[in-house]
This record gives sequence, C-alpha cells and structure tokens, in this order.
Amino acid sequence: MGMTSRIECIFFSEFHPTLGPKITYQVPEEYISRELFDTVQVYIITKPELQNKLITVTAMGKKLIGCPVCIEHKKYSRNALLFNLGLVCDAQTKTCALEPIVKKLSGYLTTLELESGFISNEESKQKLLPIMSTLLEELNATGACTLPIDESNTIHLKLIEQRKDPQIVQEYDVPVFTQSKDHFIKSQWDLTTQQILSYIDGFRHIQKISAEADVELNLVRIAVQNLLFLCLPQVLWCCNFGVHISGQKRASLRDVFQLYCGLTPGTTVRDLCSRYSQQLQRVDERRLIQFGLMKSLIRRLQKYPVKVIRDERSRPPRLYTGCHSYDEICCKTGMSYKELDERLENDPNIIVCWK
Amino acid sequence: MMFNPELAEDRKPMYRHSQSTLYKNGDNTRPISVILVSSGSRGNKLLFRYPFQRVAECTSSLAAKQRSPYALNTAGDVLEDQDGDSREQTPLTDEQLVAGFSDIILATILATKSDMCGKKFELKIDNVRFVGHPTLLQHPHIIQVSKTDPSPKREMPTMILFSVVFALRANADPSVISCMHNLSRRIAIALQHEERRCQYLTREAKLMLAVQDEITTMTETDGSPQSPFRQILPKCKLARDLKEAYDSLCTTGVVRLHINNWLEVSFCLPHKIHRTGGNHIPPEALERSLKAIRPYHALLLLDSEKALLSQLPLDCSPAMVRLIKTCSAVKNLQQLAQDADLALLQIFQIAAHLVYWGKAIIIYPLCENNVYMLSPHANICLYSPLAEQFAQQFPGHDLPSMLAKFSLPVSLAEFRNPLEAPVQEAQLIQMVVWMLQHRLLIQLHTYVCLLVPPSEDEPGLRDEDPPLAARVGGRSLSTPSALSFGSPTSSDDMTLTSPSMDNSSAELLPGGDSPLNKRMTETLLASLSEHERQVILNIPAAQSPEDLRMFARLLHYFRGHHHLEEIMYNENMRRSQLKTLFDKFRSVLVVTNHEDPIISIFQSPME
Repeated sequence: MGMTSRIECIFFSEFHPTLGPKITYQVPEEYISRELFDTVQVYIITKPELQNKLITVTAMGKKLIGCPVCIEHKKYSRNALLFNLGLVCDAQTKTCALEPIVKKLSGYLTTLELESGFISNEESKQKLLPIMSTLLEELNATGACTLPIDESNTIHLKLIEQRKDPQIVQEYDVPVFTQSKDHFIKSQWDLTTQQILSYIDGFRHIQKISAEADVELNLVRIAVQNLLFLCLPQVLWCCNFGVHISGQKRASLRDVFQLYCGLTPGTTVRDLCSRYSQQLQRVDERRLIQFGLMKSLIRRLQKYPVKVIRDERSRPPRLYTGCHSYDEICCKTGMSYKELDERLENDPNIIVCWK
Repeated sequence: MMFNPELAEDRKPMYRHSQSTLYKNGDNTRPISVILVSSGSRGNKLLFRYPFQRVAECTSSLAAKQRSPYALNTAGDVLEDQDGDSREQTPLTDEQLVAGFSDIILATILATKSDMCGKKFELKIDNVRFVGHPTLLQHPHIIQVSKTDPSPKREMPTMILFSVVFALRANADPSVISCMHNLSRRIAIALQHEERRCQYLTREAKLMLAVQDEITTMTETDGSPQSPFRQILPKCKLARDLKEAYDSLCTTGVVRLHINNWLEVSFCLPHKIHRTGGNHIPPEALERSLKAIRPYHALLLLDSEKALLSQLPLDCSPAMVRLIKTCSAVKNLQQLAQDADLALLQIFQIAAHLVYWGKAIIIYPLCENNVYMLSPHANICLYSPLAEQFAQQFPGHDLPSMLAKFSLPVSLAEFRNPLEAPVQEAQLIQMVVWMLQHRLLIQLHTYVCLLVPPSEDEPGLRDEDPPLAARVGGRSLSTPSALSFGSPTSSDDMTLTSPSMDNSSAELLPGGDSPLNKRMTETLLASLSEHERQVILNIPAAQSPEDLRMFARLLHYFRGHHHLEEIMYNENMRRSQLKTLFDKFRSVLVVTNHEDPIISIFQSPME
C-alpha cells in the first residue's frame, strides 16, 4: 500500500451524557491533543443536520475524517446515542481512498449497536480498542482488513485506489494489451469479454472485433471500456500497414531513434519502410508504431475533410464538416480509405485538414 | 497593474446564458457558493450567502426528505429559476449540494474557533468542500476592565472573527482550491484593514443582520417565505462585492473589487483564463514555462493594443504602457527592450505578468523561416464560432481552407509569391498572428541529436554507453531563474535574477589552424568515447579544421534539447551556416522537428 494514505490514528468519539463530546478511545494513545479536539469537536460530534455525512476537517497539520452517527431511542440518556469512529492523517495526505472505509465502519457500528447494543454496553464497547488497533495496523500494512467482531459479525475493509473515468471507446479504436495476454485468467471475466479476448491483438479495431467475434458492437465497446477502466489494455488508433518479418539482429538505439525521427508529418509507414529499409531489417515496425503510440512518442495524424464551398441550394454537409476523421467516416459509411480518398480528391469543394 | 473586468452591463447577458449551462455541468473550477460568517458576542452568524436559495419551500422539502447523499434526483424535483426555466434532472446540481445546508448549520461549521484563524480553513462534507481564511479582528475599542470603575459597561456587540468561505465541488483541483483560499485571504486582509480604520465590517454586519431579523419577523407574520439575502443586496455594498466576486469567478475568472469603495482587491483564476480546447493550463506549468523563456522569444498580445490599454487602471506603470505600445509579433524580447527603452529584466517581468493574466502568450517571433503546423487541438469544424470570427475579420477567406494549408508543416516562406501584391503578404502575416492567438497553430523547430552508428563488431556494447546528454554536462544554458509573480503560492513581489546572456562557448581565436585551436577542438571532443571520436574524425568533412572546430564547438547542443534558432542566437551564426554543418556531418547526426517544449503549453495544453 502506498504512502499516500497512511493512517496516523484511529479514534472513537462519543457524546458523554455528563462530560459532553469526548474521545473515548484512540489508537495510538494521546495522538489527538486536548487542544486539537476542542478545535474540531464541532465537526466530530455534530448537530443533527450533519449526521451520516462524511466530514473531513483540516486543523493543526492534521486531517480528521469521520462520519457522525446518531441513534435515537428512549433507552439512551438524553434519548440519543451520538458517536463517531474516525481516522486521522497528516494534512498533506490524499484521503479519498479512506472515505469509503470510514463510511463502512460507521455503518457497521450502527448495525452492531442496533442489533446488540454493542456500543451502549460498557463491556462490549471495550472490544473496540483491540479492533481499532488491528484496523490501524492492517490497513497501513496491506490496505485490507478482515475482523470478526463476534460470532455473527465480521468486518471486511479494503482500500481501493481512485481511478479516473475511462475514455470513451470508438468503433475505430484499436485495443491492445500492454502485458502478455497469458496472465489473463479468462474464467474470471464475463462471457462477452471472454468471447472477444482472443480478437484483441492490437490490429483489429472494435468494429472488426465485433464482426469477427460475432458480438454486438455496443457490447464490444462496453467490454473494452470496462477492461480499460481496470487498466488492462490500452487503446490505440487504427494503423494500416503491411506485415514485415522481424530481423534477427538486435536493433541499436540509433536505429530506433532514426526511425522515430523519420516519422515526420505526412510520412506514411509505407514511406518509412522504403526510406529506412536498412534499419527496418532489425526492427519490427508494427511494434515500433505501437510502442511509440503507447508512450506518446508519436501520434497519428488524422485527415478531416471539410466542404468549404457549396451553393445555396445544396444540403449542408453532414460528415464533411471538419469534425469527423477519415477513420470515422470510413467506419460509418463502409467505404475504404482508398475509396474515400478518390471521392474527395475529385471534389473541388472539399479541402482536407490533417491534425 | 491590474485589469478591469468587462463592464457590468456587457457581462449580464453573457452571465445569464452561461449560468444555465454551467449549473448543469458542475464545472470544477467555479465556486458553488460564497458565504460570509462571523463569530462574536452574538454567537455564530451567517451574514450573507450567494447564490441564495431560490424558493424556500424547495430547500425545506429537500431537507425534510432526509435524502441519502448518494441518491439521484429522481423524485422529479424540478427547480425553476427566475426566468421560469426548469432544469433537467441531473444528479444533485451544484445548488442542491449547498442548498441542503441551512444558514444555522453553516454558521456553526464555518465560523471556527479562534485558534483556526490566520490559516487556511478547509472542510469537506460529502460532495462539498468549503475553503476560507478565518480572520481574527482585534477591536480597537477594547473595553478595559477597570477596577476602579464598577459601573456596568455598555453592551456593544463585538465581532471576534469572520470568514469569507467559498463552497466548491469536492473534487475540484487542488490548485483551484488553493486559488480560492488566496482570494478569501485577500478579501479578509482588506476587510480587516477597513474594520480597523472605520469599523466597516461591523457596520455592514449590523445591516445584514438587521435585514435578516426583519425578514424573519415578516415571515412569521405573513407566512410567505422569502430570502433575506435578496433584500440585503441593495442595502449592503459588501454583499454586492461578494456577489460580484462570485459572478466573476464563474464567468471571466477575473475579480476586481473595491472594498468600501476604497481598497482594491484583484485576483484572477488562472484555470479560467488559460483554457485551450477545453483543458486548462495548470498554474505550475505556466510558471515553469515563464521561468524558462529566453530573450529570443517574443510576446504576442491576445487583444488589440487599444483594447488592452483601455483595460489598464489609471495608476498603472508607464513601463507597461510603453511595452504594450512597442510590442509586436515579429520583435523578440531583446529587441523589445531596446525599442521600449527598458531593461530586459523589466521586460521579462511585465511579459510574465501579462501572460499570467491571460493577456498575452509567448511565441517565437514571426519570420519567413518559421515552420507552422495545424495544432492537434485546433477546432477545424466548419460551423465553429472561430470560423465565423475569422470570416468577419478577413472577408473573402474561410478558416478551414486556411487551416488546410497548414495541415502539414509549412514555412511562411513557401507562401511567398513574387507576383502577389505586398498587401497580400501582410494579410497572411495577420492571419497567422490571428491563428496563433487562437491556438490553432503550433510551431515546429529543428532539433539535432548526436548518435554515432554502433561499431560493427560490438553492437551490444554500444547500447550500454550513457547517452551524450549525460556525458556532456557543465555547459548548461542558464535561464532567468527565480521568477515569481502574482501566483497563488508565491508572494506578490516579482523577483527575478538577471537572465544570462553569456551562453556562447569560448571565443575562438582567429587564425585557422593554430595549435591553440587544435587543442581546443581536441578538448571539446574529449567528452566523446573513443569509438565516437574515430567515427567523427573519419567523416570527410572533419578533414577541414574549421568545420571540425565548429562541430566540436557546437557539440553540447547536439543533445536534442536546443533548437536551431537557439543555437543561432547563442552562437551568433546564420541559419545557412548551421544547415551546411548539419549536412556535412549527417552520418552522425539525427535531425528531428517538434514544438519548443518551453512555449508549447500555450498552444497545446498538457493531456
């Protein structure tokens, strides 16, 4: 588990009927000073409006994350039980991953209290201290913790890293695995993913995978997007070039560097192959392109046709507006690159932008 | 040296439109709400908040339902704004996020204890993040407890502390949060000052609370719920200032207030100002870029000279005015310094300032050898607003056609047509400038890298050699360092060490083949490996001592980090000289073309 979410302290705070808000237990002891608690207690034992909300407050170089709970019942003195099991981290720590843990813990304790009076019973409340110790130790060490509380209740907690939203996958995008597919355990995945897995080879685009695997286009898209979200394959763009046999000799840095530098705007891979045939005896240009794209060393230029001149009577252009690339147009209309090229070249009203 | 935001009248219609769209999107750079709280002898009070809840019934119904914070707004709660627009159902719009907090609870949680004063205050509750800078007030009329005077003191309600708090979406960028905190702090400083001088804050607070009390009693008697804050606006200048700050942050990102019509508070949100293609340029990247600019770069104003000058305050520095008047896309900063009769250091400072405030960008000065290409982020859509603007600015030309000409890298020289009238050429320059201003073009520079072909017998070993960059150390080209300006993290003074101009390598003595020169060449080539030296010396061109000397002298540039124009500037050489040299030694050099990373952020934002 990374250093980014190190928990410094776990505390259990409640509203004592005579003493008011106090920290009943904290692990390690004496971590939260009297001063600190005084400053932040209004965010820990809160007014009813803030109950069940995840509250993170920063004070005195520390960040406290808690979720105040209030259980109303006549049996409690003052007719309500207020408590809050929270975490303390350094103020610079990124605590997003800890929030679900705090929420879950507050839920668990609420359930325990409602079922068996776990917290209001002084004897069972004491079990909290060793629970908190174990939590602190295990969450910091492995990011996960499984604690049996009593015969019928077990707490399962896991720190999950926040991930960015996945990019939208288009039908002309090409997925490729960055690690060997052999590590993939097929049976762990849903049926759709299993069906398309063997077609993901870094050369077939989504539409082609859909046709060859006989899976509906949208399902393929969603499956790949799902895989992307779990950071498994990476998605590239379409590359059209022929097969080449990889050489035996090991390529030098210079060869590779020259090839990448040779990919000037306007150069097709075919051009590259003819110009640098010597270097390409030692380098597989498919892998070269893939690697370059993945590491953002190179990017592919797309062509965008724009219909600039038209007379008043004709319809406004639908696809030739500069918003749709050749890839997209070919996919949507079923034309090949060559056909589209020929068609557009002969139309004087259409210009093509590369970007 | 700050700028007027657009006139209020012009801003209103724009604000109306953007308000409805931005509310839906939940844009992370804009605040959800601005709240003023205080703590004193009358307890914790919420003095003002904006935007105020539209219809009180909606908020109470929201609170009453005790919604789970994770629930989607599926119950069909359609809120109408002043114009009767009903918003689409979206998961918890910004307004709902903060509307759920009553005035009283906000007063409790935002008016902190005094030991949290003077520091950044940050509180996150579910999806909302509150940021502020609680400030202690030391009341000048401290009522002294005199032992000899037992008479009861007059009860003067005193304010102990106050805080201007911005509510943001919890997932706002940390640099945005930092900026909001900065603004809160600046307003607090101004308010603290005015309070000490003439009890301005106490007076305004009294007014605000009086209106609130009035409305409360009215509500109790009439039964019709109203927002007290709406009534406060016409009566309180401070309330109007806070509203203006909020509105500005949501629209232009430039805030300019006059607290008590006296103290100026200016602020800009770089995230709003520096946007290219939907992404913002992070302030740190901006700062890094500005620290690295060189005297051969140029400043390109993003507005016309006239428009820019009209935005300057009356008491702005004359140096700024001179700079703006002398500035040109074809002039580099060094020339600008000479023409404007200012020190280069000052030019750097003012330029950085203009860039920070979104009024200018840094480019390489326009000349016919510049190679430009269409930016990958350019919007080439036929119907884009940019296309329309272009057509208006340059009648008879359309943007996509022009952009198509730059699809592949092209130098300006290629557009030159001797049969054309000069006015056409001038128009081309104007169009290129326009496209650069609107981030449609990127400029490509030539970079050179020394890469000697590996020896035939030991191909594997070659790869283990550390690259040239690691070996040829020492001759770093210094840039103006320690450039800090009005950015959130640094103080407001601009400190700048002088940019080093002393970048050329040792002056070589004239006299072709002297032993001294030979030795110098040898020394320079000493950093290469034996194999590399051999290969270089075997090149036919190396037989000419002058060529070899020049090659050796420029060796440290061949790391791929210095473009042609930089070498030209530093070494005072002509382009043709360099190109010839590169050609002669092409068997060991690899030439590549790409953007200048120092200024590329202005045209291509980071992904």
